[in-house]
Amino acid sequence: MKNEAYRANVRKLVILSILMVLAVVLYMVIDVNFANPKFFKFSMKIRTPKLLAMLVAAFAIGAASIVFQSIINNTIVTPCLLGMNSLYTLLHTAVYFFFGASSFLAVNANAAFIVDLMLMIVVATFIYGYLFKKTNYNVLYVLLIGTVLSSFFGSVQSTMIRVMDPNEYDALLLTLVAGFDNINGEIIGCCVLLLALLVFILRKDLALLDVITLGKDQAINLGVDYDRCIRRLLIGVTACIAVATAMVGPISFLGLIIANLGRQLMKTYRHSHLILGSSLIGMMTLVAGQCLVEHVFAYAIPVSVFITLGGGIYFLYLLLKKR
Amino acid sequence: MKIMLKQIYRKSWFSTVILGIVLVILSFLSLFVGVIDVTAEELFSGDAASIELFLISRLPRLLAILCTGTGMSVAGLIMQQLCMNKFVSPTTGATISAAKLGILIALVFMPKSTLWSRAIFSFAFALLGTWIFVWFIQRIRFKDTIMVPLIGIMFGNIIGGITSFIAYRYEMTQALSSWETGHFSLVLRGRYEIVYLVVPLLILAFIFANHFNIVGMGKDFSQNLGVNYKAVLFMGLTIAAAITASVVVVVGSISYIGLIIPNMIAMFKGDKIRGTLVDTALAGALFVLVCDVIARLVIAPYELPIALIIGIIGSVLFIGILFRRLKHGRKAIRLGAATEAPCAVAVEKAVPQGGDRA
Amino acid sequence: MNVKNLIKKYDGKAVVDSVSFEIPKGKVISLIGPNGAGKSTVMGMISRLIAKDEGLIEFEDKDLSKWKSKELAKRLAILTQHNNVQMKLTVRELVSFGRFPYSGSRLTQEDYDIIDKAISYMELEAFEDRFIDELSGGQRQRAYIAMVIAQDTEYVLLDEPTNNLDIYHATNMMKTVRKLCDELGKTVILVLHEINYAAFYSDYICAFLDGKIARFGTVEEVITKETLSQIYKVDFEIMNIGGKPLTIYY
Repeated sequence: MKNEAYRANVRKLVILSILMVLAVVLYMVIDVNFANPKFFKFSMKIRTPKLLAMLVAAFAIGAASIVFQSIINNTIVTPCLLGMNSLYTLLHTAVYFFFGASSFLAVNANAAFIVDLMLMIVVATFIYGYLFKKTNYNVLYVLLIGTVLSSFFGSVQSTMIRVMDPNEYDALLLTLVAGFDNINGEIIGCCVLLLALLVFILRKDLALLDVITLGKDQAINLGVDYDRCIRRLLIGVTACIAVATAMVGPISFLGLIIANLGRQLMKTYRHSHLILGSSLIGMMTLVAGQCLVEHVFAYAIPVSVFITLGGGIYFLYLLLKKR
Repeated sequence: MKIMLKQIYRKSWFSTVILGIVLVILSFLSLFVGVIDVTAEELFSGDAASIELFLISRLPRLLAILCTGTGMSVAGLIMQQLCMNKFVSPTTGATISAAKLGILIALVFMPKSTLWSRAIFSFAFALLGTWIFVWFIQRIRFKDTIMVPLIGIMFGNIIGGITSFIAYRYEMTQALSSWETGHFSLVLRGRYEIVYLVVPLLILAFIFANHFNIVGMGKDFSQNLGVNYKAVLFMGLTIAAAITASVVVVVGSISYIGLIIPNMIAMFKGDKIRGTLVDTALAGALFVLVCDVIARLVIAPYELPIALIIGIIGSVLFIGILFRRLKHGRKAIRLGAATEAPCAVAVEKAVPQGGDRA
Repeated sequence: MNVKNLIKKYDGKAVVDSVSFEIPKGKVISLIGPNGAGKSTVMGMISRLIAKDEGLIEFEDKDLSKWKSKELAKRLAILTQHNNVQMKLTVRELVSFGRFPYSGSRLTQEDYDIIDKAISYMELEAFEDRFIDELSGGQRQRAYIAMVIAQDTEYVLLDEPTNNLDIYHATNMMKTVRKLCDELGKTVILVLHEINYAAFYSDYICAFLDGKIARFGTVEEVITKETLSQIYKVDFEIMNIGGKPLTIYY
């Protein structure tokens, strides 16, 4: 007995997928010289990892944001706004800082990523667990402290890089922090595998998320092992943020935009739909945005600038609409 | 009763003196920290090279540090008083990011601009940005104390986004990066003097301190006392913006000073601006001085930008203040907490607070 | 359900202090008492929402903490006041969640029948496709009760169900509570602030004072001038309307 709204949502998802595929095709074929196989090969070689990175990052951010919002029952908070991505960048830098550029971690990107990931899960669980407990889930405090934390992580990371090599600051920054012009292609395989594994391990918890939406009391009333479920999901969220940040760098507002657009579009509590919808919107936005940046603005302005600009305004709108 | 008052008076006077003495000693010591060793003996014996170094680099640096510290902390104090919210400051009120945007506009549209014309642009934008922010938060009535800095930070982010958009568009990111993280390493004789503007502005702030206090109580309250609300509000914000602009144009953006120093002083001394203004200024200078020494020592002979050191220490202190406010609620940070509805709207609630203090 | 020597401490101070009572089956039991007397905390502990510090709660002759959460959810339902759902959820979807302990997310035809019944029992047919954040307080409360009915438990625990409702909705809520007991044979335990609702609609009343049970008994036993004056520390008059004791306090 699937009702009308359910079918409508499936329809919306199909349309979103078609749009996403269109954006992908556009991105792959625009300005490509098909006549010359050499050029063609070259374009594909450059564009394919970039495209994959964007798709993976969009999925990771979309899923992490939706899950996180549902856990703390508030739609204006996303993990990136609380500085989780800055934390990942900091930890990544710290690993280089303490183990040195000559260690095997500097050479093997996948090993480095796994180490970062483990560190990230431990540190983020500790810091954010403490933050939530201490503020008693007061959303405005969590947001403000999260924003400050994010700038704190940024300052510490910047300091570390400068301490490592004050002269080569800019060059070092580029090698350590990924960005849209500087995606980290080496670990795509590892990341895709990790995300698939996460979805598989957490599939039961993700199903419970629909019930957790009702709030802690109701979830327990309906027989959910609340604390365990939340713990597992939060670990999933941090891992997703780590994946996204490792691939395309810190983009703070993307999660906020796509998660809220997804919620507005789907109007449902079903998290399978919400996550899919948000991820598709994210993929579409990123790929189309990158397309625009590369071919209209000729690489002059990175897509993250647009996201920051749009996201900031959208955040203010959400914050003020609430009152 | 009289004795008690006397004790309090003596106590408040005491802290000012201690702060002053520590500041003088540290200032003196900091003059002799640097890549090239300069000793006091050389200086007084008339060693030409030492004196030269001293006058070109060391002394300007110290003066710039003092002006930055006093200026930014007082700017923060003024903004907090005017808005009746403990968490408003040049950082959380979009002033700094607007000042940066102003500098960028000057760089883009007047490539040959002097330091002075950049300062004027920076000032105009800082004023505009702060005004928009204050206008904005005054429009929204039902707001949490915590919501105001959050809106300010986001507003600053948006201005920052516009700034980087323009910077990328005109390929100015390299030029702008010098202002992105504030540092004192380029403070040399002949290219920092604008920062002295802070001194007359501070004097002005001191003269009008009581007016700021009254305006902070709200529109009706100040009219009742015969104070022109709009004029004083405008003047106060102008002073804060001018201080911020003159600091940012010389050293670049430095966050948190205006946010944490007034809050920490208020914890010890209460909220009456006259009583805390001098202490806030001294403590601000002291804070920046200490951070500067740290910045110079960590990776000597190189130095770290001071904005990073202040960013680290400042954000930790700010989080500490927030936790303290959470725990102690109304007691810890009286001003913002006691009214709950900041920025000059909650007159009825603000008035009894005066009674508490008396 | 049997409660023995229940203790809960916050910051070393006992909020609930050695509380023992037995809940009679198939009746309506109201917990009353002034603010901070510990009634909501007791309710939280017997519904496993709050962890107890000491004592024993026996539910169907088995320690409550030994029950599997999911099994318990088929026998005991709790409805608290913290129900601000931010998600887009229709009334029907909310009520469907009541079947979660039985079928998870895959509902059977039997589940749908029960959901339909719960909706019509609470007369929610007209709203069933509306989002709950668009409903009025009274309608939303009814939707939650419908969910509890769909959960089909023997015990129903309600924490201040009449809070924030006007007289019309509050009275109808109490009538529903009575119906849950009389028609569906459920044991209903409620925390109530309004003494007259407790007096008029319950079978038993448990009066709390300072973390202890001041009095536990039938309505007639507890609703007396002396007991109430002692608990609430104001003067009471007891009147008799329709065979039920009603109170006036001043």
